[in-house]
Amino acid sequence: MALVLFSPLVGSVAIPPVTVARIVAHQLTGGLFPANPCAPQPINSSACQALIEIVWDARLPAMVLAILVGAALAFAGGTLQGVFRNPLADPFLLGISAGATVGAALIFLLAIGTANANLLVPLFAFIGALATAGVILLAAQSRRATTETLLLTGVAMNSVLSATLLVLLIYNPLGNLQVTYWLLGGLYGATWGRDGIVFAGLAVGAVFLLLDARRLNVIQLGPEVAQSLGTDPRRSRDRLVLLASFVTAFAVAFAGIIGFVGLIAPHVARRLVGFDYRRVLPVAAAVGAAFLLLAHDLSQLVIPSTELPVGIFTAFVGTPFFIYLLYRRRPTSAEGTG
Amino acid sequence: MIGGDPLSPARTPLLSLSEVSVRFGPRAALRAVDLEVRSGEFVALTGPNGSGKTTLLRVALGLLPPTEGKAKLHGDPVTGLSIPERALRVAWLPQEERPMDDVSVEDYVLYGRNPHLRPFSGETPTDRDISHAAIESVGLSDRRDSGVLELSGGERQRVLLARALAQETRLLLLDEPTAHLDIAFQLDLLHRVRRLCEDGTHAAVAALHDLNLAARFADRVVVLSRGRLVVDGPPRDVLSEELFRTVWGVSGELRVDARTGIPFLLPRLTAETTASRRAAGTHLAGPIHVVGGGGAAAPIFQALSEDGFTLSASPLNLLDTDAQAADELGIPYPAEVPFAPLGETVRARHRELLERAVAIVVAPFAVGPSNVANLEDLRPYVPAVPAYILSADTIRGRDFSGGDATRATEALVGQGAVGVEGIAEVRKLLRALVPELGSAPRAGASPVGPPRATPQGEDR
Repeated sequence: MALVLFSPLVGSVAIPPVTVARIVAHQLTGGLFPANPCAPQPINSSACQALIEIVWDARLPAMVLAILVGAALAFAGGTLQGVFRNPLADPFLLGISAGATVGAALIFLLAIGTANANLLVPLFAFIGALATAGVILLAAQSRRATTETLLLTGVAMNSVLSATLLVLLIYNPLGNLQVTYWLLGGLYGATWGRDGIVFAGLAVGAVFLLLDARRLNVIQLGPEVAQSLGTDPRRSRDRLVLLASFVTAFAVAFAGIIGFVGLIAPHVARRLVGFDYRRVLPVAAAVGAAFLLLAHDLSQLVIPSTELPVGIFTAFVGTPFFIYLLYRRRPTSAEGTG
Repeated sequence: MIGGDPLSPARTPLLSLSEVSVRFGPRAALRAVDLEVRSGEFVALTGPNGSGKTTLLRVALGLLPPTEGKAKLHGDPVTGLSIPERALRVAWLPQEERPMDDVSVEDYVLYGRNPHLRPFSGETPTDRDISHAAIESVGLSDRRDSGVLELSGGERQRVLLARALAQETRLLLLDEPTAHLDIAFQLDLLHRVRRLCEDGTHAAVAALHDLNLAARFADRVVVLSRGRLVVDGPPRDVLSEELFRTVWGVSGELRVDARTGIPFLLPRLTAETTASRRAAGTHLAGPIHVVGGGGAAAPIFQALSEDGFTLSASPLNLLDTDAQAADELGIPYPAEVPFAPLGETVRARHRELLERAVAIVVAPFAVGPSNVANLEDLRPYVPAVPAYILSADTIRGRDFSGGDATRATEALVGQGAVGVEGIAEVRKLLRALVPELGSAPRAGASPVGPPRATPQGEDR
């Protein structure tokens, strides 16, 4: 909550808290109250309009996007960790985020319909994510699949897709900046419209995932035991990976590749509420949202008057955490025949 | 109510396998197995390792489709049932299930309710009540909130049983449920399963290594051997020494528990395997004669039998440990009544055996006035027959014959008997006596393995 109050205040332009509050009130009441949001400050109306735009059209949508993307990545990460019975699964590490990005970038490569880009981007991102997830599922199916196979497949996918993305960046046919955003993982592109789309995608994905979370619990017992308890492990796995790819696609569509949120948030959630995925997933979503919002705020504060892409920030926090998990992992834990 | 009562008549078997075969590539894991299990029955599935017990259970669970034949759960083909439908008809206790997360016992047992829940709904209070009852029935009520990773092996096995009970199926399949349990938990768990079946509506099939445990608890014993069902019936009808020998390759003695009337098999040492090796032929012209008593010779009997040598033994008192070991391994020896000094007939018989011996091994046995003759009788044969004395240097400590034993031993060494350190060294020296093994090992005859496959040579 404190983060939500704090977030609109931070940015490359210093705006007093009171003004921010007045601008928010002004916009929410349709310009009725207060009539002049910049009132105590000695600035003219066009300068005031600029402040309104900064707060209402840039900072707040970015804040909301951070919350939505954080939640979506946490949902996806938690689900993937459950499906693969592997604490190191995450849409970023498995290359699903990169796949989504390449899928979305195809729109620009093919130069199709910029008018509906806001809707096309998540769709193409979903296709890209799904294709990547398909490859990983195939790798996970092999009898000898271990954590290492899974992660290395992800790493391989990731580097192929990142290379593809760099090619697209260099030969960017439309000169569109969005590919760059994707590469770095940033929230600059946030608008209320895009927030709405991400929200809708997340809501649909989250509802289905929560309804399926009980199966995620049973899958933890291993595919054969799951089957003996009436859950089809393969079908559940495919459905859950599809849903995870779906929410990842919406997260990636407008915020680019933001790593490690999906890795960290579910771990924190398990610490807080135990192992029942019906509780782990929503709590992870809340943790992911808060984490990404904090990262977003800090990324704007660290170097004054510059915004660092938030993905860089999460990588700084996430990488040590990843290494920690890698070493802490119990050798006995049943792995990856998922 | 569960398992299709309204659909099928009560007498429909809960499980039926007809002509079920399973092949993994060229290897047949099950061959044309027929089996029916009806409500009220506790069937023990037993057989040596790799005989197909687990495969059979996996076919019944639908985890493995049969290559040929039909498996039915309460009248319907397993492969035709959906996964949730199967889970309503059969519950499973896997051989080994390692939980990954420290889920509470309560939640772990609640997973058993999974097949009863509608696709997108949670557990109801009824589901919780059923789980609690299941936890109580395995005696774990006080551990309901413990994490499963904190539990002992026995407790965890009971949690799995509780989960299977919470599943409320009429058929329960258990794969080596007692494998990691100590005897008290083994009895406890099987007793619980047996009680469950006694209500007449449930049935259980348990794969068990231990034939005696199977006989003690089960109504029926089903024995698999190399994928084939060889025996199916009540324990008292099917258990036999013959079965023990043909299926497990172990000779044993069938006895009956006087209180329960239930038969059990008492295994002997590996006489059977050594006998079969002996039948394959030895490389020496005669037996190796072992001198001992009081248990000192038993390990030598065992080791040399395993190596495939034919043995004979010095006179032993009946009831002596060495005498029992010799009996079990089929080694001839002149028998003397307990605690009596060796008589002249016995010593004459000893000399007969020595006449035929190609080597003599003297065990580090305690020598008293009654059996010192066993050493003295050796003297005419050494060194014509190679003699090896184990731990000859310790004879003074084992000499209770007032010095006669020490003198006899020293005399034997003086005549050329070889003092050796231990059984391993004796084995090595004896193998060196076998011409094929001693100098140039032939193809097919392993220098370390027992001499088995090579034909009898003219070793003289």
